[in-house]
Amino acid sequence: MISLPVLAEVTGQVAEATAAHAASVNPITEITHTFGVNPAAIIGQIVNFVIVAFVLWKFAFKPVLATLDERQKKISDGLRYAEETKARLDSAQQEISDTLKKAQIEAAAIIEQARKASKEVAERETAAATERANSLITTAQQAIELEKQKMLAEARTEIARLVVATTQRVLAKELNDADRSRYNEAAARELTSA
Amino acid sequence: MASGKKQITQLAQKLFKLSFVDGRFSEERVAGVLAYVEKNPHAKPVAVLRAYSRLVAVEVAKGQAVVEHAGPVNDSAIQAITVAMTSRYQRPITAIAKPNASLLAGLRIRVGDDVYESSASGQLAALAASV
Repeated sequence: MISLPVLAEVTGQVAEATAAHAASVNPITEITHTFGVNPAAIIGQIVNFVIVAFVLWKFAFKPVLATLDERQKKISDGLRYAEETKARLDSAQQEISDTLKKAQIEAAAIIEQARKASKEVAERETAAATERANSLITTAQQAIELEKQKMLAEARTEIARLVVATTQRVLAKELNDADRSRYNEAAARELTSA
Repeated sequence: MASGKKQITQLAQKLFKLSFVDGRFSEERVAGVLAYVEKNPHAKPVAVLRAYSRLVAVEVAKGQAVVEHAGPVNDSAIQAITVAMTSRYQRPITAIAKPNASLLAGLRIRVGDDVYESSASGQLAALAASV
């Protein structure tokens, strides 16, 4: 390790030597000579550098930059598309949700309406069945009543016929000529006086 | 066919009208009509005579009171019926007795289409009909 005081001493000596030499030669010439600078070589290097830079710019940087730009554009397009897709997806989901809600409401309304209609139909059918049953009962009662009246009438007629037939037989047996004569006289009086 | 029947009926009615004298049915005129038909036969004499006979029977029935009876009927009753019917119809009516045991007792008088009845069987029939 070199200590700081020593280093400062050496540096000062070098500076002194340099200053002495410069005072004796053209400084620029001395510098170029010292550092081995050749202007022609520098110019050639500059030209070479420009050519190389141009070639690189033309055939390397520019395509790379174009590719980068294109990729950047693609990426940004992709991101925008993704955002749009996401927005569209959100919109679609919202729309689906709204549609589902609407469909649920409509379904509930339809179910309620169907239930109501079913209830009305059932009530109507029940009423019609009751009316038919009542009608049938009434008809049956009327038929029974008619049959009863008919039977009673037939019974009355039959009884009357039997009574008359029996009375005729009894009268035919029991009436004698004197009875018939008296009856005939009374009949003659009745028919001639009418 | 129908016109033939109509002709027969019309001829019978003409012959029937000829059987009256002063509005009264005359047996002599009937005999004359029958003689005419016999002398001048129609195409269907049996049909003409049958129609004429029906008309005569109806007219004869109008002048008769058929008294159907069950059991004995005395002459005074028959006479009373004759008088009553003659008075009722304003034409001479003769009562003719005809036994009918089905009446049981009582009388049934027929004058033409009119029937007067007062009999036990009639009353029983009316009773049966009213029940």
